[in-house]
Amino acid sequence: MNNTSMEICNNLRSEIIEKTIEYYKAKFENKEFKPGKTKVNYAGRVFNEAEIVNAVEASLDFWLTEGRFTEKFAEKIADFLGVGHVLLTNSGSSANLLAFAALTSEKLGEKRLKAGDEVISVGASFPATVTPILQYGLIPVFVDVQIPTYNINVEMLRKAISPKTRCIFLAHTLGNPFDINSVMQLAKENDLWIIEDNCDSFGSKYDGKYTGTFGHLSTISFYPAHHITTGEGGAICTNDPLLANLVRAFRDWGRDCYCAGGENNTCGKRFSQLFGNLSLGYDHKYVYSEIGYNLKMTDIQAAIGSAQMDKLADFCERRKVHFNEWKRIFSKYPEFFILPEATEKSDPAWFSFIVTLTYDCPFTREIITKYFDQNLIETRNLFAGNITKQPAFINKNWRIADNLERTDYIMNKTFFLGTYPGLTSEMFNYVENVLADFIEKHK
Amino acid sequence: MSIVKKYSAEIVSIENPFDKLFIIKMKSLSGYFKYSPGQFLHLAIDKYDPSEGWPDSRCFSMQSTIRDDFIKITYAVIGVFTQRMADELTIGKLVTLKLPYGDLFTQDHSKENTIFISGGTGITPFLSLFTDPSFSSYINPSLYAGFRNEKLNLYHDELEIAKKLNISLKVKNIYQDIDGILDIEQIFKNSHSESCFFISGPPVMIKNFRNFLAEQGVAKEKIKTDDWE
Repeated sequence: MNNTSMEICNNLRSEIIEKTIEYYKAKFENKEFKPGKTKVNYAGRVFNEAEIVNAVEASLDFWLTEGRFTEKFAEKIADFLGVGHVLLTNSGSSANLLAFAALTSEKLGEKRLKAGDEVISVGASFPATVTPILQYGLIPVFVDVQIPTYNINVEMLRKAISPKTRCIFLAHTLGNPFDINSVMQLAKENDLWIIEDNCDSFGSKYDGKYTGTFGHLSTISFYPAHHITTGEGGAICTNDPLLANLVRAFRDWGRDCYCAGGENNTCGKRFSQLFGNLSLGYDHKYVYSEIGYNLKMTDIQAAIGSAQMDKLADFCERRKVHFNEWKRIFSKYPEFFILPEATEKSDPAWFSFIVTLTYDCPFTREIITKYFDQNLIETRNLFAGNITKQPAFINKNWRIADNLERTDYIMNKTFFLGTYPGLTSEMFNYVENVLADFIEKHK
Repeated sequence: MSIVKKYSAEIVSIENPFDKLFIIKMKSLSGYFKYSPGQFLHLAIDKYDPSEGWPDSRCFSMQSTIRDDFIKITYAVIGVFTQRMADELTIGKLVTLKLPYGDLFTQDHSKENTIFISGGTGITPFLSLFTDPSFSSYINPSLYAGFRNEKLNLYHDELEIAKKLNISLKVKNIYQDIDGILDIEQIFKNSHSESCFFISGPPVMIKNFRNFLAEQGVAKEKIKTDDWE
């Protein structure tokens, strides 16, 4: 490109960015909340002009695949968590799949996960934590959770470990860290892999350290309901260079080469190595050492994520404030609601405010959530409830450790409201009034 | 491999001690360099344009450590790209670096009686380890460094730092014009059964040494090489 063309491009780019900011202000700024007319969502994207400007910048680059923004986004995540390796992917579910798939690699020798091995998880979960276990022919072992932390019962976990157990794959439920010290100790004693599903907990801390930095691998989701968003998107984090390479291989078609899209010969030995039954010097770019997928993130998604990362710390603080606001409101009615509690030693960046109806509560979950819904207040169940009762999981090869009594209770008596940063004091006031009206009618 | 990042960097010094051999130092204009001992970088002379992708580049071992506020590399003019480097790199010139790559010393290996074998400028990836505090955790390491002649051994300063960091380090410089070429048979005889071998240098040397060690029954995972095309 000659200097004149470059100058034209630079000027046009500046003009486009200025217009983009103008557009943001006209379209998205100063949204008004009208009680009873505007929805109180449980989650949503929270952004300003920075996200749109980045997305436009990436569009103008038109590089599309992994590029400058994926590099920046991954670096920001690594710096935030203090981990060595961050691999971006197209969803949190893909992140879970890739983290699990990496542990099946033959490169891990005897430690690799094999069909028929057992993996411990919880019954009250989201399918994406469990489905990779079944997809790879391993056996999920479901352990009950505790109320009001909604995390695994560690004593039951201890009893669930069998000679076939090889891995623990757990989510920090709705931002509340599980008892990491106890789980890590059990994993160490029994030589088990740990995958932390950190999709709902990006920014939560346990014992002063971020969740997602304790296990061998951890995952993050950037779906709009989560702590930051790229629309669809996810990431896998690890401090282990071998696991990072395995995740990359599974993510990128199973290939051995780690060149990013559009790059060649990054390793400097593209045409001089010997693999499998291939001829010496077979192009490394087309050597496949794993049975992989293509689950990469695009540069436009990462551009949005990079701007979101600058807001993460603030978002987490606002989630904590909102959690406390819900707690203030719901604590007025202890006879009806069991309120959530943070796990000991933890500082959750709450994904949501989870509520369980007491045993003696005179109304059902369906009645209160329907009432909220009629008043434009969004609620959600704790995902799949008891996942063994979901149609897709019936007659599959899983095992329940002891019982799932509390999981069953949660399935029928629990719901949650959002804590996302987009909530405002007007919304809290509105919900507080709606709840008071409801209680007055149903007590 | 940590997060790979692109850095805009400025050439801050150039040494040309011998014909076609250059040592350059570069400082980052995009934040601190992050890498581990034994890793390598890609250097691009042409400007990186995010719309066009990564330009033509070559791999170079980093012989500095992250404690330094610069990255130091040595290169020999052996082809079109390195000739361009010799012609175009001047003090103050901006280049784009992409790093870190490689896992030479992060691979699982024994740190007892470790053998490091280098030919010529192949010593450079070892220097980043030898001058890093982590080198003190090695027990009785040995370096066999081959050079065509003593003048080409430009690494006395780094090796002095290494000896201070690890007093058990044994350094054997082999000058071809006096001692002949590196003798892998002799090196192997002096090694211990648990020794891990790191080999860096000309491709032919690496290939021959690796084959020899394999023939002697040294396990594949105990032979680590730093080889590019």
